[in-house]
Amino acid sequence: MYVDFDRKEQKARTMFHVVHPLDDAPEEKVDLDALGPMRMTATVRVCLLALRGYLLLMFGLLGFRVLQLAGFIRG
Amino acid sequence: MANLLYAGAQAPQTQQKPKSKRVSSKWAAHALTFLMVFGPGLIVMEADNDAGAVSTYVEAGARYGTRLLWLLLLLLPISYFVQEMVVRLGIATGEGHAAMIYRRFGKWWGRFSLADLLLVNFLTLVTEFAAIALAVEKLGVPPVWGVPIAAVALTALALTGSYRRWERIVLFLCLLDLAWFAIAFRMAPPAGEVVRRTILPLAPVAGLTASWLFLVIAIVGTTIAPWQLFFQQSCIADKRLRFSDLRWARLDTCIGAVFTILVAGCMMLVGAAGFHRHWDFTDPAGMAVQLGVVFGPIVKNAILLLMINAAVLGTTAISLSSAWAYGEVRGWAHSLQKPVREAPGFYAVYALCVMAAAAVVLIPRAPLQLIILSVQVLAGLMLPSAIIFLQLLLSDRELLGERLVNRTWNNVVNWTIVVLLFALSLLLAAQVAAPRLFPNE
Repeated sequence: MYVDFDRKEQKARTMFHVVHPLDDAPEEKVDLDALGPMRMTATVRVCLLALRGYLLLMFGLLGFRVLQLAGFIRG
Repeated sequence: MANLLYAGAQAPQTQQKPKSKRVSSKWAAHALTFLMVFGPGLIVMEADNDAGAVSTYVEAGARYGTRLLWLLLLLLPISYFVQEMVVRLGIATGEGHAAMIYRRFGKWWGRFSLADLLLVNFLTLVTEFAAIALAVEKLGVPPVWGVPIAAVALTALALTGSYRRWERIVLFLCLLDLAWFAIAFRMAPPAGEVVRRTILPLAPVAGLTASWLFLVIAIVGTTIAPWQLFFQQSCIADKRLRFSDLRWARLDTCIGAVFTILVAGCMMLVGAAGFHRHWDFTDPAGMAVQLGVVFGPIVKNAILLLMINAAVLGTTAISLSSAWAYGEVRGWAHSLQKPVREAPGFYAVYALCVMAAAAVVLIPRAPLQLIILSVQVLAGLMLPSAIIFLQLLLSDRELLGERLVNRTWNNVVNWTIVVLLFALSLLLAAQVAAPRLFPNE
């Protein structure tokens, strides 16, 4: 009897409780307000500048292509 | 709080014990945790096989047979790597992608990204409803009835005030796509050819033509779309995934990527059935009708219903990505867990996206195939910029810390993806600037 009780207790100790993320207590995350904006290193500046150029070029070309396919511009 | 707790561990007296499920083995605990975390990865990937994707993949099969299957294999790791970064970002910050760009890169880039997202998303939603209109018409239901019914059902789907309910319904819809495997099998494609052309890239028969290039960019644009980045990060934030869920969220994303690419391959094989019979491709609904003549009405109806399912999945995910992003930037309450009265702005944006797109489809008769392909290409053009933001955020040690920041190999893979996407965009630009650069078929 004693052994059985011991086994039951041991089993109870090793039970796992699985909690759904939505039922769990909120977890501490990165505080974005405290971080503020990203530091404008040379890499970040170059990437953003290249991106502006790329977007201007591409949207211009895409608009042209769509108008061409729609028959408004003769290619 | 860790998601695995020993029964003996006592929570502090002041904290309310969270609702939990008890299991007796570690393996069962892991399996159950995975099932609880499972969802955003599969949904984001499978919702990407939306109406536009069905059209693009079926067209690829109808025009080039199995000769573009290799592209899907190439896109599998790319789509996983891109979405895995979003998973890390979402879990680390508990915030959506739009909020992240807004706060880290400033108002200008934040508003620009949001405006881009909303525009492309809205155009994409129009194509989803155009596909619904096309499919219901072929099923014998007038679009003036079918489209509004779909719009109302889609709105109701999100208004339940329960993330879990929405997720379960959408996961069920994702699994309906298993039917694509049965349809592709029914087409009896030669197995050896399928395997060979999946593994070995093959040049197009007519050489590098403008339409081939346009279709390749459309496939890339539809397989990895900007809205996916915004959707999955917001979804992870809404589901409140924890740091300990990271590996399961990665597995979810990996399963989603594999499943989606396999389904996309099946769509291509369905299109290839038309290629082998030398049919002219107009749209997937027309192809379904043609296939119905050969393989029976069950195949026709199944393809049409799967088209509607694809559009429904795409619509709910894309509308949610818009609503989450707008809510994040405006600082509104934005959660599927909240009832309508607590997050009216969030639900209003969702409903407005769905209803406006449905209304547009009912007014004019637009050239569907042209709109769909143009939207995919537009998304493909926007993708490099979205990936650059993602790459800069994932390289930000201040934001992610040593544990989650990109490793060197991550950066090598990601910059390779960026270069690949830029190269495709530049090829398109070259084609537009010099139309005779690549011959027409």
